[in-house]
Amino acid sequence: MDLKNEILAALHRRPIDIPVVAVTGGKGGVGKSTVAVNLAAALVRMGYKVALMDADVDGPDDHILLGVSLERPLEVTVTVPAIDGNKCTRCRKCVDACRRHALLQPPDGVPVLIGDCNGCEACILVCPEEAIQRGARPVGKTYMCDRDGLALFSGELLPGAEDSAAVVNALRKRLYGSLDGADMVIVDTAPGIHCNVINALKGADSVYAVTEPTPLGAHDLERMLNLLRDLRLTARIILNRADLPGPRESFVAMAREFGGSTAIEIPTDELLLKSHVAGIPVVDMAPDADCSSRLRRIAEEIAREYLE
Amino acid sequence: MKEIVIVSGKGGVGKSAISASLGTLLMEQHTVVFADADVDAPNLALFFNAEQRTSQDIRASEKAFIDYTKCTGCHACAEACRFSSIALSGETPVVIPYSCEGCGACAIVCPEGAIAIDGVVNGRIRVSEAGGTVIVTGELVIGESSTGRLVDEVKRAARKEAERIQADLIITDGPPGIGCPVIAAVRGNDYVIAATEPTPAAASDLRRLLEVIWHFKMPCGIVINKADLHRASRDAILEFAKAKGVAVLAEIPYDRSVPEAIADAKPVVTAFPGAPSSAALRTLAYRLKGDVIDKPERLRSKPG
Repeated sequence: MDLKNEILAALHRRPIDIPVVAVTGGKGGVGKSTVAVNLAAALVRMGYKVALMDADVDGPDDHILLGVSLERPLEVTVTVPAIDGNKCTRCRKCVDACRRHALLQPPDGVPVLIGDCNGCEACILVCPEEAIQRGARPVGKTYMCDRDGLALFSGELLPGAEDSAAVVNALRKRLYGSLDGADMVIVDTAPGIHCNVINALKGADSVYAVTEPTPLGAHDLERMLNLLRDLRLTARIILNRADLPGPRESFVAMAREFGGSTAIEIPTDELLLKSHVAGIPVVDMAPDADCSSRLRRIAEEIAREYLE
Repeated sequence: MKEIVIVSGKGGVGKSAISASLGTLLMEQHTVVFADADVDAPNLALFFNAEQRTSQDIRASEKAFIDYTKCTGCHACAEACRFSSIALSGETPVVIPYSCEGCGACAIVCPEGAIAIDGVVNGRIRVSEAGGTVIVTGELVIGESSTGRLVDEVKRAARKEAERIQADLIITDGPPGIGCPVIAAVRGNDYVIAATEPTPAAASDLRRLLEVIWHFKMPCGIVINKADLHRASRDAILEFAKAKGVAVLAEIPYDRSVPEAIADAKPVVTAFPGAPSSAALRTLAYRLKGDVIDKPERLRSKPG
């Protein structure tokens, strides 16, 4: 039974009716956050209220690019089993149910957690004595802060924890619940194509895929475009550091193959580094600069398509 | 045999470029196996004109599968799933494979025994050969998950290749971030190189990465790539490293030869051996030889 339509409908289902535009790319360090932050700032300058979701919970940097500090922390936890030794009959059912082999039963002892628990609660479900309670293991935090018309939602994975996807999901839930009159959402994803990137892309109306014109950028972009096609999301390509040497023809070919368009090229500009270091988006710091007008053009494209 | 992994908190700071050049330099005196554990965006092989020898599908992930001839639509599975990976399409439960962890909670609660947990192919491991070395590349299948377990498989395959060609060194190009693939890549190595660049964002991500490396008590050092990009950020990283007692192994300046070499799909030390960046990479290789590679084998605790 092919359930692809049902799966994608469920994946992209969302409880909000304002537009969501995601910025991703595949390769790291190509300028995803720079683009996301500047699109948000440019839309704010046009008079819109924007919610920006920094879903790169491994390395959240949007607040640094915006020059704001992370505020209003909320802890993200996942379940960890708390076994009551008085109720436990040593039946081993929990140990056998754990597919990650995280529980160990010492001879005649109560099972102990020795491995990486992902909080699936299979052990709790299978225990016939109700001897296992839900403990809470902190895996990260979500934050919310405001900057003149821009609400930034950031998530942060706790160093040492592996639960990036849980933090992204908690962040999305917080964002959905606190939109407070925002006109649209911009999502900044982590690099890569794995599950927390997919979690960040859920429910997007369209996607900008940022890359650089190097063989590495081309290779990683192609993997991202394949993922987006699989998720039935349309992508526009942004070539950042467009003056770097590389196989430019392959980007044209990819744009053709995947039905998107090469949206815009942004050449290397000292101003982008300066704005990064200053913590002011370049569209605010130097609105007349060439890179600012290029970024603004993308923001205007978004406004035309979704907001006017 | 020694294993060195290169990771970074922030992406795009030059892990693959550094790995390719570092390994190339060390090949002058060692037999090296390269491993690419950035399974989302495996780029290391692009630096070598490598010929693929084998490609193997890897089943390092599990998913739930519903037998709809048995399902009565009771939704117990959707309620049990902690990963929001069973959604209802009308009355029908549907597994969302992108986030399903294969934990089996749904199968436990299903009163009809209609749910099975099965392995799925989530990656490929390619072994390629180029100029006297072997490159083991892990590649996540598009839309699949369990990157950490795939990284474990890449490391296993690299060790097997190292044994086969009697290599004495594995250089692993790791993933960015601090999550499960990074933790999988870092564990069990002899030494971790944390790559960064002098920007406030990269410095912030470096601090988070070092916390992970310390959490697992791994010996490590920092490499500052594009070191001349921003003076104040570079100084801040040096100060932080000093305060925490972490060695800064090398500062690699940014010159035009780096992107030129990347465009030409070569390590910069091969394409432009006289470039300032190549000189800094040689310093790095020399330093690692003294500090890690030529040191006696680390005493590994035996299992059990």
